[in-house]
Amino acid sequence: MLDTRYRVEIPGGINLEAQVVGPIPRCFAYAIDLGIRGICILILSLVAIPFGAFGMGGGLFLIVLFAIEWLYPVLFELFWRGQTPGKKLLGISVINDDLSPVTLGPSMVRNLLRTVDFLPLFYLLGLISMLSNRRFQRLGDLAAGTLVISLPQSAKAVVIDDIAPLAPSIALLRTEQSSVIDFLQRSQQLSVPRQQELASILDGVTHDKDDDGVDRLHRIGAWFLGVR
Amino acid sequence: MNLDKLQINACTRSGWQAIDLGFLMARAWWRQLFLSSLVPLLPLSTILLIVFSESPFWAVLIIWWLKPFWERLPLYIASRKLFGEEPDIWSHMKSLPLKDSLPWLLWRRFSVQRAFDNPITVLEELIGGTRRQRLRVLHGRHSDVAIANQLVCFCCEILVAFGLLVMFDFFTPESFGIEFYNNFNDLSQTGEWIYSLAGILAMTLVMPFHTMAGFALYLNRRIELEAWDIEISFRNLANRKQQERTSMSTLVLALTLSLIVMLASPAIVEAAIDHDRESSRQLIESVFQGEDFGEERTQRKWRFKDWSEEVDDETFPEWLIDFFEWWEDNVDFSDDLSGAAFWFKILLVVLFAGLLIYLLRRYRGPLSRWGRGKARETAPEVLFGLDVTPESLPEDVPHQVMRLWAEGDYREALSLLYRASLSRLIARYELAFRASHTELECAALVRARGIDSLSDYFWQLTSIWRKLAYGHQLPETEAIRDLCNDWVTELSDEAK
Repeated sequence: MLDTRYRVEIPGGINLEAQVVGPIPRCFAYAIDLGIRGICILILSLVAIPFGAFGMGGGLFLIVLFAIEWLYPVLFELFWRGQTPGKKLLGISVINDDLSPVTLGPSMVRNLLRTVDFLPLFYLLGLISMLSNRRFQRLGDLAAGTLVISLPQSAKAVVIDDIAPLAPSIALLRTEQSSVIDFLQRSQQLSVPRQQELASILDGVTHDKDDDGVDRLHRIGAWFLGVR
Repeated sequence: MNLDKLQINACTRSGWQAIDLGFLMARAWWRQLFLSSLVPLLPLSTILLIVFSESPFWAVLIIWWLKPFWERLPLYIASRKLFGEEPDIWSHMKSLPLKDSLPWLLWRRFSVQRAFDNPITVLEELIGGTRRQRLRVLHGRHSDVAIANQLVCFCCEILVAFGLLVMFDFFTPESFGIEFYNNFNDLSQTGEWIYSLAGILAMTLVMPFHTMAGFALYLNRRIELEAWDIEISFRNLANRKQQERTSMSTLVLALTLSLIVMLASPAIVEAAIDHDRESSRQLIESVFQGEDFGEERTQRKWRFKDWSEEVDDETFPEWLIDFFEWWEDNVDFSDDLSGAAFWFKILLVVLFAGLLIYLLRRYRGPLSRWGRGKARETAPEVLFGLDVTPESLPEDVPHQVMRLWAEGDYREALSLLYRASLSRLIARYELAFRASHTELECAALVRARGIDSLSDYFWQLTSIWRKLAYGHQLPETEAIRDLCNDWVTELSDEAK
C-alpha cells in the first residue's frame, strides 16, 4: 500500500511514525532560505563596500559570506529543532532516520554534501536521488542518515454541543473508534446522503437505518470524545 | 469503484503531503506512465523535428503546447492502477484522448492548476456547466498547492533540461567542438538540436510526477469529501462483527468439549502442559541461538592516552623562543602596508579566538546540559496529594502525631509525620523532588544524598506509610513512637 508514512520500531516495541516529505515542499523551503540568505548578503555587501571592496571590507565580507553559505543550515537545524526559516514556514523539519533529533555530525554531513547534490546543475543529482528512494532522501541525507519529515499539525477542535452521548454497546478497536469520531467531526463536510450511505454500512451492527443510524453514530462519536 | 482494492492508504492529508503521495505513485508505476507518454510522443516529435529541421525550437513549442494530451493516457493508467486493475489501453484510446480538446488547447492551456483539474475531464468526463460546478467544489482546498505543484514542476523541467545539457557537456571531449551554451543568441544548428532534444526529454521525464501529484491532490479532495477512509473502516468493522457472530457458535462448542476433556482426565492435561513447556523451552533456545542474539562485535574508537611523564613547567618552552626569533626575522616593520595587513591578520585571529571563548563561556550552561533535558524546577508544594509547604505544618510535629495516634486517627497521624519529613527534606537538604515522583523515587533521592542515618530513617518511614496508605496495614504503636523520637534527632529544627 502506497503511503508517505515512515515507521521505526524502537527497542520497547513501540512504533514511531513520521510523514516523509518529497521534492516539491523541499524546493519551496530551499527557495525561501535562498531568498533570506540573498537578502542578508545584499545588506552585508552594502555595509562592506564603504570599507573598500578589495581591502579589509572585502576580506571580512568574504569570510561572512562563507559562514552564511555553509553554516546557515547547520546552525538552524541544530538550534531550531531541525528547521531553517524556510522549513519552518513549510512545517517540515530534518530528523535522524531513527527519528531522534538531528545532531551535529549528520547535519554537517548533509549540508556539506549539498555540493554533490547540486551537480551537475541546480540539484539535478539530488532530485534524481530523492525520486529513487521511498523516503525522498537526497545523497546528503543518505550519507548522513537523515530524513525530512513534515511536522504534525494540531487539528482544529470541533465544537460538539447538543449531542446526547451514547455508550457503544460493543467493543470497538482503536482505529474503529477514531473512524466513528471522524464521522462526527467531518459531518460538516459530508453531504447528508453520503452520511446515510456510510451509516448504512453499519446497519448490521447498529440496527438503525438512515437518519437514525447517522444519529446513533454521532452520539457514539460524542461519547468517544469524552462528552458525558 | 472498489475501495477494498485501493492501492494507497486513504487518509486525509494536507495538500503538500498529497503531492508527496503523488510522487510515490509516480515512482511505483513509473515505467508504464513514462512509456505511455513517450510512445505517442516519439513518432510525433520525430515528424515535427524533420518538418522543422531548420529550426527545431518550433517542434518543441508545438509538443509543449500539446502537453494536456500527453498527460491523459498516464492519468487513465494511474486511475486503473489505483484500484489494482490492469488498464485496458486500447478501449481507452478509442473513446477518450481528444475529448473536450479545444478549450484545453486554447484558454485552459494557461491554467495554473492543470494537473489538479485534469482528472475531471479525463476520468469523470465532465464538460461545460457541470464541470465548472464540480471544479468549484474541488477547488475548496488545495488550489494553492496545485499552483505550487505546477510552478515547481515547470522549474524542474527547465533545470532537468539544463542539467542534462551540462552533464552531456561534461562527458563530451573538447575535440568534438560542440559549443552550445556559450552564446545563446547565436546558436549553431547542432546546438539548437541538442537543446530541443534535451527539452523534449525533460518534459517526458517530469510529466509523470507532475500528473500524479495533481491526481493525488484530486484524490485527497475526494477522500475528504466522500470519506473513503471512514467507509473502509466501517466495512472492516461490519465484516469483523459478521465473522465474530458466525465463529461464536463454533467457539462455544469447542469450549464445551475441551472443558469435558479437562474435567475427565487431569493427567492428560498435565502431560499436555508439560509437553507445551518443553516445546516452548526449545523454541526459546532456538531463538537465542539465532543471529539477533549472541552476536559479538568489536568496536574501535579513539581515546586519550595516559601521559605518564609530566611536562616540566619550570623551563621556558623551546618553541616559544623559536616563535619569537621567527617573528623578529620575518615581520617587516618598515613596510607600512604589509605590516598593517599582518597585524590585521593577527587581530582577526585573536578576535575569532576571543569570540569562540566568549561563546563557549556564555553558553557553557546550555552546552553542558546538551541533550539532558530541562533545567531544575522549583520545589513542589504538593507531593502525591500531600501538602508539603512548611506553613501547613504544626509547631511540634511529633507531639501532634502522637496525639492524633492516641485519638485513633491513624492515617492522619502518619501522613502528618510523612509530609512533615518531606517538607523538611525539601527545605533543609534541597532535595530535587518533583510533583511526578513516587514515594519510592523520593526515598531513592534521599539515599542518593548519602547521609546513612537519614536515609535509613526515611526508608523506614516510607515503608510504614506505604503499608498504611495503600495496604491498610496498621503498624504497632511502638513503631510510631520510635519514628517520632527519631524524627526529633533527624529532622526537627534542633537537629543539626
